[in-house]
Amino acid sequence: MFWAIFPVLWVIPFIFQGEALVGGVTSPEFGDLAGTDQFIPFVLIGAIVSTYLFSSLYGMGGSIRMESYWGTLEYILGSPARKISILMGKALSESISSTFFVATQMVICVVGFGLTLTVEKILPILLTMLLLVAGLYGMAIALAGVTLQIKESRSLVHTIEYLFYLFSPIRYPVGIHPLISLVSVVIPLTYALIAIRGVWLLNQTMEYLWKTVGILAVLDVVFITFGYSIFYFMEKKVRKSGVVSQY
Amino acid sequence: MKRYIRAMNAENVKEWRIELTYRVDFIRGMLEPLIFVFPYVLFAMALMGGRTSSVLEGLTGVSDGVTYTIIGYIFMGFLNTAVWGMGFALRKEQWYGTLESIFVMPVPRWVYVMGMALHSTVHQSIILFFQIAVVYVLFGVILNVQGILPVLVFIALMLISLIGLGLMVSGLTLIFKEGWIVSEVLYSLITIVTPIAYPLAVLPPLLQKLSVMMPTTYAITGIRHFLIAETMEFTVWDAYSRLIIIGVCWVVTGLLMFHIVDRKVRREGTLGEY
Repeated sequence: MFWAIFPVLWVIPFIFQGEALVGGVTSPEFGDLAGTDQFIPFVLIGAIVSTYLFSSLYGMGGSIRMESYWGTLEYILGSPARKISILMGKALSESISSTFFVATQMVICVVGFGLTLTVEKILPILLTMLLLVAGLYGMAIALAGVTLQIKESRSLVHTIEYLFYLFSPIRYPVGIHPLISLVSVVIPLTYALIAIRGVWLLNQTMEYLWKTVGILAVLDVVFITFGYSIFYFMEKKVRKSGVVSQY
Repeated sequence: MKRYIRAMNAENVKEWRIELTYRVDFIRGMLEPLIFVFPYVLFAMALMGGRTSSVLEGLTGVSDGVTYTIIGYIFMGFLNTAVWGMGFALRKEQWYGTLESIFVMPVPRWVYVMGMALHSTVHQSIILFFQIAVVYVLFGVILNVQGILPVLVFIALMLISLIGLGLMVSGLTLIFKEGWIVSEVLYSLITIVTPIAYPLAVLPPLLQKLSVMMPTTYAITGIRHFLIAETMEFTVWDAYSRLIIIGVCWVVTGLLMFHIVDRKVRREGTLGEY
């Protein structure tokens, strides 16, 4: 319930901040950077899509640490199942719950904030979200591997979350600063948000956005390959050095 | 009393030892609150197309939207001490398996929570100084140094209320176990109704009514009043006196709630439940 409602509520301070700074719901300066001067739908869509970020970081990335807290990590790593199956199982469970959260948030945004969403836009948005989830879970698999080694990964997860907020267009267009713009090109969330906002807010077609979606797909392959390699390497390392059960 | 202070200090020292054991994590903890502020500042800059806003000036007397936002968010960091530092402390002890050992100490349980408050306050103060130094360099934020003394009074009064809040959250954690939900919900709701990056006037009437019951409203507005000359909708003495009243109410409620919950979980034997 919390994850279904609160990511949308976290947008409210931005709405009040906008009201205090520009005295309304539009800003031409914001429009120059974002392509739309309506900053409320912009941040709302950012909030909805970032739910998958929370899910991948906290749900999957932090899941190994939770197993360690519960004392079940050794059983899982010692089971005859392939590690990729275990990770995929966690990813599947997280994806289903996140999709439920996202659907609820979409309803809240449409009913509560007056966002409009026509039926023909749903399929391209879902396709983009699917590609985003693949990339983010690739990163989360790497994080799960790192957790095996460094143990206390909760704080690392927090920091990564903040960095994503800083370097991807969740709250503001990345064109606000050259450094942010530069770093954002390697983050899948950037392309997903550009494509989803393009379809949802700017009425752009997938034919127009194919380059953006293509880059997102390429990043997915990179992130999944990289993520699994990191996990495989870390798992081997901690089993060899005997630090699996260390707290 | 001496016993209590020793116990509080022991808890404070213990927390510092744990924190400094994970050095990289400690450094990250210092940098993280700074990164947390940036999205709010960059969002403001994207809206204003720079750093000044005539609308904000009309509402608050301050045209610099960047400084206005930064001050709000860095001082609001003290809310973390209450909901996370104090409130979440008991859940951490549960994870470590040390909650029961702490509960059999020969001092009241709230003393332990106060020890966490001491540690969190010192920790947050260090972060605050670091943040001010960095934003001064990065954003050229200029503060009125003559206002520091009344600002310190505002912080101290806000902290008293927040200790009360921390005690309430700690109590709730003992019941709900997964205390992060309690912490996150309270943190989110308080940040919405507190005029952190906007004045009280832009909030809808219902939220304004809730906002005037929050210590953070008076503290953040008062701090900005003395540091960057924000015009306030109430006098300084009103702000101080309301903070004292809220502080007393929240601390009494916090102690009462913690005491009731503490007795309840011990009687029912649910303290050790995970």
